[in-house]
Amino acid sequence: MDNKFWGEVSLQESKIQYFSLGDLHLWLRFQDEEIWIAHGYSGELIGTIQDKKPPKDVEWSRWAMKVVSGDIRIQPVFPDLPLVVNSEYPLKVSPETQIQIYTRIPVWIRIEQAKTDYQLTELPAVKLSRTWFGTPIEGELCYHAMTRARRDLSKIDKKSYLVTCPIFVSNKSMEELNFERFCFRVERLSIYEHNDEFWADETRIIYHGENLNSDIIMAGKLPEGIQKKQLLTKPRKEIKKSLATRTFKRFFQTHF
Amino acid sequence: MEILLQSSFFSIYKYISREHFQVLIKVVLILVITLPVLLGIRKWANHFFSKKYAPHYGMLAGKLFFYTGLVITIVTVMDQLGISLAPLLAGAGIIGVALGFASQTSVSNIISGLFLIAEQPFKVEDVISVGNTIGIVMSIDALSIKIRTFDNKFVRIPNETIIKNEVTNLTRFPIRRYDAKISVAYKEDIGRVRDILLDVAEKNQYSLSEPEPQIIFDAFGSSSIDLDFRVWAPVSDWLAVKNTIQEEVKKRFDEEEIEIPFPHVSLYAGSASKPLEVEMVQKREVGEEEAKSTQ
Repeated sequence: MDNKFWGEVSLQESKIQYFSLGDLHLWLRFQDEEIWIAHGYSGELIGTIQDKKPPKDVEWSRWAMKVVSGDIRIQPVFPDLPLVVNSEYPLKVSPETQIQIYTRIPVWIRIEQAKTDYQLTELPAVKLSRTWFGTPIEGELCYHAMTRARRDLSKIDKKSYLVTCPIFVSNKSMEELNFERFCFRVERLSIYEHNDEFWADETRIIYHGENLNSDIIMAGKLPEGIQKKQLLTKPRKEIKKSLATRTFKRFFQTHF
Repeated sequence: MEILLQSSFFSIYKYISREHFQVLIKVVLILVITLPVLLGIRKWANHFFSKKYAPHYGMLAGKLFFYTGLVITIVTVMDQLGISLAPLLAGAGIIGVALGFASQTSVSNIISGLFLIAEQPFKVEDVISVGNTIGIVMSIDALSIKIRTFDNKFVRIPNETIIKNEVTNLTRFPIRRYDAKISVAYKEDIGRVRDILLDVAEKNQYSLSEPEPQIIFDAFGSSSIDLDFRVWAPVSDWLAVKNTIQEEVKKRFDEEEIEIPFPHVSLYAGSASKPLEVEMVQKREVGEEEAKSTQ
């Protein structure tokens, strides 16, 4: 993990500081008592990416603050919408079976003024496309992500912009659960730092059948080996003991 | 006060009797107190019902409270002024019959307005299309609805017109589909075109991954194969999808050398295999032309 990226950064007068994470390229500077931020994404930026200044097509955003200070804080946060996570290889869970899987989600970065905790901006490390979870009449806007729904993390490369989310799935129905895609409500998860990796607290999904809501338990239970003092970011929404909601069924009918 | 009114310099009682003056004071007090109270109640009702139900319910509730209060105030003021309501009501009956004939359209609009409120085909702030008018609903009133069009025109549509005609609510549901007509040349591989279009939809920042974009083979056109490219977007981004996706398709087709054909017309002289016959009617020497022009 790039430790230089996270935590407090002191911006110096008129000197540009450059960071990159995932697809995100970020330029920061403190000028005329203002904080200036410019950003762009790999694949969208034209020309060579330089540390000293952003490309011409990238525009600066400026913040004039009540407390004049160039000290900022950069934190990892979960995306601002739930994610519809598609399994790369569909996983079928037989009736009355419990499994533990891991999915990795790209983080967003939150930039705050350190002295006032005033949030300047939030930017995704990787741009995710949006999707709809529900019917054409009602539902919710989500991000679309792919997962391999791994059972073992020992053989995979560490990536500084991904947060590992342990998910415990319990199929309590008498039917097979097709774990092809599910709606992952990440707004109630915290982020912890452990062994230079980001980890989320555990999510428990209890499946009762296709026509019933699944119980989602996000009670802040920590994965093995992680302690509360390793907390980096609190959840966006308050943790609830249990949430009964649509998680697997998409509802979509053939449309013309 | 009494001393001031009866002072040697100015006495109001020279112009108005004591009783009438007291009535006038009462009427002024009633108006000064009730009007701000009614305005306050209208504001509260508007806010409360808008928050609890929908903005147009807030508007209606505000108006209902305000005008009911206003009628009560006017009746009270008239009572204070000693104007009897009985002859007025009797007169109103006769006038009412006359007005009834004259105001059939208005009554029809009011009744249509009640149907609109009950049926709720749209709400304040919805985008609707009525005939050739598309705009944002500003208010739903007793006689008409008011629309602000996107080129900032104010349009008043009578409620009766709304009830009688087809109304399309463009923002009723949270997502909408945009259908783009795409034409490609007959020589193109449709499978490849399909893959390219799906990739364009996936990369478009406003489109949704699900419901999945669709490519429907529409027709063998006169000069092209016509495809229906269907992409979903949140209602708020529908226009952005419309604006961006066609531009992106054109750019991508140019990059991939996919031909977007235009109508071709081939002229044949009787048979497709034969060239068009040209017959020389008059032969003129070039030298002769030049000699004529120099003279």
